[in-house]
Amino acid sequence: MRRVLNVLAALLVSAAVLALFAFGYGPVPALGRALDPGHGAWTSAAGGQPIHSQTLSLPGLAHPVTVAFTSHGVASIRAADDDDVVLALGYLHARFRLTEMDLERRLGEGRVSQLAGPAGLSSDKFELRLGLLRTAQAEWAATPRTSPGGQTLIAYSRGVNDYLARARRSGEWPSIYGLTGVYPSAWTPVDSLVLQGVLTQQLDYTTTPLDYAILERTLGPAHTMAWFPILPPGQQSPYDPGPYKNRGLAPIAPQATAVTTADVQQRAAAPAAGPGTDRGGGVTAQAARAAAAILAQADALPPGLIHQYPDSNAWAANGPKVAGAKAMLACDPHLPQTVPSIWYQAALSAPGLSVTGVTVPGLPGVLIGHNAHIAWSLTDTQNQATLFYDERTSKSHPGQYFWQGAWRRMRHVSYTIPVRGGSAAHLTVNITVHGPVMTQAGQTTSVDWMGNIPSPDLTVLLAVNRAHDFAQFRAALAGWRAPTQNFVYADDQGNIGAISAGYYPLVRHGDPWLPLPGTGADDVAGVIPYASVPQVYDPPSHVVATANQRPVGPSYPYYIGTSANFFDPGYRAGEIYASLHAGSRMRPAGFAAIQLSLTDRLAQQIVPQLLAALRHTHLTTQQQAAAALLHGWDATMAQNSAAAALWWTFWGDYLRAVFKPWWKAAKVPVRKDPPGLAILPQSQFSLDQVLASWTADDPANSAFSPPGGPHRTAPQVMQAAFATTVAHLAATLHGAPSSWAWGRIHSRQFPSVTQADALGYGPRASGADAWTVNAADGGLVSHQGPSWRMIVAWAGPGTATGEGVYPGGQSENPASPWYEDQMEDWWDGRYLAMPPAAGYAAGRVVWSLRP
Amino acid sequence: MSDLNRLGKRGSYRLGRLGTPPAAPKSPPSPHYPTWVPHHRGPVGLWLLACLGAAAVIAVGALVGWWFVPFLAGLAGGVASRAGGWRLRVALPAAVLVAAAGWGAALGWLALRGLPEAAVARVIAALAGLPAHAAVAIAVTLLVAAIQAAAGLWLGRALAPGPARPVG
Repeated sequence: MRRVLNVLAALLVSAAVLALFAFGYGPVPALGRALDPGHGAWTSAAGGQPIHSQTLSLPGLAHPVTVAFTSHGVASIRAADDDDVVLALGYLHARFRLTEMDLERRLGEGRVSQLAGPAGLSSDKFELRLGLLRTAQAEWAATPRTSPGGQTLIAYSRGVNDYLARARRSGEWPSIYGLTGVYPSAWTPVDSLVLQGVLTQQLDYTTTPLDYAILERTLGPAHTMAWFPILPPGQQSPYDPGPYKNRGLAPIAPQATAVTTADVQQRAAAPAAGPGTDRGGGVTAQAARAAAAILAQADALPPGLIHQYPDSNAWAANGPKVAGAKAMLACDPHLPQTVPSIWYQAALSAPGLSVTGVTVPGLPGVLIGHNAHIAWSLTDTQNQATLFYDERTSKSHPGQYFWQGAWRRMRHVSYTIPVRGGSAAHLTVNITVHGPVMTQAGQTTSVDWMGNIPSPDLTVLLAVNRAHDFAQFRAALAGWRAPTQNFVYADDQGNIGAISAGYYPLVRHGDPWLPLPGTGADDVAGVIPYASVPQVYDPPSHVVATANQRPVGPSYPYYIGTSANFFDPGYRAGEIYASLHAGSRMRPAGFAAIQLSLTDRLAQQIVPQLLAALRHTHLTTQQQAAAALLHGWDATMAQNSAAAALWWTFWGDYLRAVFKPWWKAAKVPVRKDPPGLAILPQSQFSLDQVLASWTADDPANSAFSPPGGPHRTAPQVMQAAFATTVAHLAATLHGAPSSWAWGRIHSRQFPSVTQADALGYGPRASGADAWTVNAADGGLVSHQGPSWRMIVAWAGPGTATGEGVYPGGQSENPASPWYEDQMEDWWDGRYLAMPPAAGYAAGRVVWSLRP
Repeated sequence: MSDLNRLGKRGSYRLGRLGTPPAAPKSPPSPHYPTWVPHHRGPVGLWLLACLGAAAVIAVGALVGWWFVPFLAGLAGGVASRAGGWRLRVALPAAVLVAAAGWGAALGWLALRGLPEAAVARVIAALAGLPAHAAVAIAVTLLVAAIQAAAGLWLGRALAPGPARPVG
């Protein structure tokens, strides 16, 4: 009997062990397969080896292709036709960035849970609800297969799938797949279009109207519009100063008329009142509840997917402003900084195509770079592209909504979401004429987002890659819809320009910065005609710069967004313009110095006023020492600067000292959306700007006096805030104020795309802040900043010298020597020579790709 | 009661005085005389050679993707050790070591070919949410082989025919 029991127990345990190791259980992967040294997660070691010259067979190629790699892994692809060059690019993207591409694809298609388990379910539901996949499918369905865009997507997918087939044969997958046992499916053109959607979401999808709804409900409409105005109070540096022409609307709905900036300013100019006196405004409690519900969904997303920070600098100069060149262009797009980077650098060469720059793994084409005749870059325009609609529903009309005088049936789309280690989840998305319903909590609310309109970005990009002059460049961009971008331009003839291409949605009635009634009258009626979008060509100043500032002046005849989390306050733009106007006969080194500038222009403006306020109060010895540091400070946010730490901390304390009593009295539910509602320095751009403006021009503004509290002025609040700052830093950093270096409290961090902490880079002590040209967004641990620095100088026709660098490396494999090999160059402000537009014919390593 | 209240105080009764008298001492335990007389059959060298062979088979199995070979080796080892008269306290560590050595040898072989196994080990540990040290992933990997071998050994010994031997 004992022996029988022993046999049974041994059988049971053996079966359990084998089953667990073969199939896994719940979140535990199939450990036998996963950790098999020859075939599991360990096989990613092969991808981490330095590459060597070889000949590869790639089905689908029409002709042989050569790929030459620099010592940093920058690839020059030379092919005999266009399809071959993008097929090879697809192969390289997959070879060096498969995990990154696949994770982005999963993110957009709502398939994160399939790999990550139940933790990814919130993100999957949000994305399926928002509809990146539906948009991509619709766009691909409308793309003729024989069109340039269609052929390119097919060839690119073929290249990616060539690599997937090779990985299947060799079993050499990135570790994450060997570990989870969930392998990437074949790549399709829809996947590339979904990635385009993810990028659009990062740059264009905002929840600011929901924040406005909550603020109106709590602070009241008057204070909300006074503190979060349409037009910012400070001086701006629009790159297109006008004159402007109102050309009506481009047709989305032909009967539309524009709501102009003047209209919305008029509505916003209501008399101010204290919180509670007119609390509630036009935002119902149900609408505020719905807003909070949608914000909670967004809170579950991976960082960076909701557009929060302004992104990027780009400028160009010509004529007397440059030396040794006819025109020069510089750029540094600020994006979430990850390892691997969002960028993969390459040069693509085929008959009729010679282009070099950075590509986005998953997408064919060079997004930022130069060809033989023109150079271009882009920054986010920051206009309002997301509108929310409160749908009218009724219990007597289930599944319907009221629109244009009649009850309409919602469209339903159902999804099944596979979940690793759990049962599949099901989701039904309701869709109205405005777009997907994002919540039915309190109030059925849908979203009309420009990113949900199919946009032939890829076709546009391919045309830009081939453009020879501004006319071709501008004509190509006419088809660009989302995300709206400021494209900056410089060419080999010495011309410069910029154009903010994309859709700017306009409504006939209502306040678009708030959730709008969904009954029809407030629908998006059209967009700004392409001829009227912000643009400039060969300006008389010989410089053009975009740094996400409002691109136009206050007389621009169209509404394009408010000061709250749409446009940058313009401190970076101001610094760039000041440097460009002050400089003459600049060379690439001069442009590099601007890119690396750590000057905070808001500090330049406020610190003298702070010191003036401190002259009229008693200071402790420690406070005197701290103030002395600010006296001699040049507003440089250097890593070793104690004054920089004092300034940044002071600005946050000053903001809180002014606004927190109002927030507290009005019970603003900050926790519903901290980035959009909390009083944080360099997060609420409106508050930064109005406070700077009051401090300079209206120091007795009623906002300085807390509700129900004593009368205060700006100098009094500054004195109190400064005392708080010194006490806070003394408690945190100890020692003398001179030892409170900015780098002791501020760092940059580059998380891994896999979200595994140990695979990221940093946190590392750093200078800079959100207002410096060399930007560090995100507070004390910054994870957004210059993702690619590039400078192109045109010496003459067809003669460009380009240099660039990005934080990270060409390979996503942490075992690869190309994982972080450019990080130190980027950190220290060094640049690497870019391959010429035609690419390098030879290199340290050359791959020969054969059909 | 008054006596009990005084317990633990100076001059009180000791508990032993209140209990029953102690039992008569037992006879002292018999001394353990270790013996070096082998219980197993066959020369040790042959058994060691078999272990080496098993480790090699496990390593080759890992390289070709047969992750379950440590279990099979443990199973065979269980049957053989039973037939060979090996005690569990010898057979179990041997099986575990052989399995770990097999997978360790496979990893070593790959590293010798120039593959960055240490860096990958760190990646695996990081992705698994473990402390991101190469040693952690390597240890877990070898543990997976060892657990298989131990389970296989148990099953093999349970299934193997022959007279029962004292376990221990």
